[in-house]
Amino acid sequence: MYEKLVDIICNYVEVKKEDIKPESRFMEDLGFTSFDFMSMLGEIEDELDVEIDQEKAADIRTVQEAADYLEELM
Amino acid sequence: MVELRSTINELLTKSAAAYGSQDAIRYKVKSAGEDGKKETVIESKTYAQLKNDSDRFKAAIEKLGEQGKHIAIIGATSYSWIVAYYGVVNGGSVAVPLDANLPAGDLCELIDRADVTTLVFDEAKADVAVMAVEKCAKLKNIIAMDSGSKVPDAKYMWKLIDEAQPTAGYEPKPEDLATIMFTSGTTGKSKGVMLTHRNLAENATALDMGYESGTVLMSVLPIHHAYCLSMDILKGTSIGAVICINDSLLRVAKNIKLYEPNMILMVPLMVETLAKKLEEASLIPAPIVKAKVFGRQFHTICSGGAYLNPAYIDLFKKYGITILQGYGMTESAPVISTNTNSDFKAGSIGKCMPNCEVKIVDEELWVKGSSVMQGYYKMPEETAQTLEDGWLKTGDLGYIDKEGFLFLTGRKKNLIITPNGENVSPEEIENKLGEERLIQEIIVRDSEGIIEAEIFPDLEYVKKKKIKDVKASLQEVIDEYNKTAPLYKRIFKLKIRDAEFEKNTTKKIKRF
Repeated sequence: MYEKLVDIICNYVEVKKEDIKPESRFMEDLGFTSFDFMSMLGEIEDELDVEIDQEKAADIRTVQEAADYLEELM
Repeated sequence: MVELRSTINELLTKSAAAYGSQDAIRYKVKSAGEDGKKETVIESKTYAQLKNDSDRFKAAIEKLGEQGKHIAIIGATSYSWIVAYYGVVNGGSVAVPLDANLPAGDLCELIDRADVTTLVFDEAKADVAVMAVEKCAKLKNIIAMDSGSKVPDAKYMWKLIDEAQPTAGYEPKPEDLATIMFTSGTTGKSKGVMLTHRNLAENATALDMGYESGTVLMSVLPIHHAYCLSMDILKGTSIGAVICINDSLLRVAKNIKLYEPNMILMVPLMVETLAKKLEEASLIPAPIVKAKVFGRQFHTICSGGAYLNPAYIDLFKKYGITILQGYGMTESAPVISTNTNSDFKAGSIGKCMPNCEVKIVDEELWVKGSSVMQGYYKMPEETAQTLEDGWLKTGDLGYIDKEGFLFLTGRKKNLIITPNGENVSPEEIENKLGEERLIQEIIVRDSEGIIEAEIFPDLEYVKKKKIKDVKASLQEVIDEYNKTAPLYKRIFKLKIRDAEFEKNTTKKIKRF
């Protein structure tokens, strides 16, 4: 899941794959806006056929937290 | 052609008469498909149904003895929310739309301050209802929008509606208070903006933007915001539009494909993200990209709430999409000016609404007219500071060109306007974090669209507690704050000072 997520992140923001770390924070470190982040999760919903809770999504800060949350949904 | 309406009741009644059998609201519902798997279908309600349901809710409110009282509505945009709003205001009661993203404790404080006696909530906010029952002494009724609420003693809204018989009841007058909307204040305490029927109805109908009935618009902004409530819901209703409800910010792209809207009201943050989508496919012909992202039928984005870089207007034009930038604030119900298809100037925020006039006083934009609020609820000092002889001091600096177009040049008031249109009071966050022992002085400000805190730590405390990594400790404090703050109030940048802030003669920190 983590690797897949990193690939998707690279499509959303201009950041090199090797610069994305599990502890990287979406807004502070990777330059996401809150709406970029929500849109990316919407795309992941379709790709993985899962349903993401918007309120829970708002609490996700790091790449690892996102990967863990998505694992839970699978 | 839209005629001026002076009450919200008149607005809905005339639209129901003109567009009765046409769809007013479309929304998604999940139902079990033939294979047992959940599938999403679109349901719709006509203008006649919307009028009938809201009239019955109005009757139900009267039956509860709540006519003329203050009724809070909390939840995401839904058909029930819209029915509740029209039912409340058209019965002469005062709707208090609340921000569902605020912590339950903050919401209870607003419920108390607005003298709310009935709370209408969606089940996602059941925790707020439970806390409000316990803490808000004036609260008499709790009404759940969803069936089977876990909140004890909650009445079910649709049962009340089914049991009610629409009656003529009270007919609101233009001067009646219709809505109290909370907005961030510069003093750190949010203020309840009092808007009458005339304020809201005339703001929504004064300007004919040339849209036909049956125009499909998708509502993506939070409904408790004046911009969404006034422009999507009230203006949408007045022109006989089909208002499609976006169920989540995660699904904007998906829902555009589903509902196939002609136009969307957005904040600049959304425009920026969608621009990235368009630019990703810059090698593909523009009409194909537009059809894929927005659908062929899509033609207009109305942008407001915050500053939009004019470069996006040119970018979207390449794809056959017009961005109409407008300007307003909750205190003016909310639109003050907007560009239209026939009256447009790049870089400007358009011409003043026909029901208002503007003037520039010491570079500050002042507005007068039927959109301007009555004042802040139970805040006479703040009201006196903002209103002068009927003129609303916007706090924005700007100018008017020879042709009457308005331009903004900066802000006088110390308020952060985030790219998604939320107003954030730096003092509110500073006061909260200032209580932390580790923080001696703090300034909160906007930094390229995100909120930054600059902190001078309490060095004596650092010494006393033998804190080795001050930055990490301060980050922990910020992380704790962020856990309870709504997304738009969170701090995403931390700067640490090794000296005190420069002060002015009254010993206040110099912000600029």
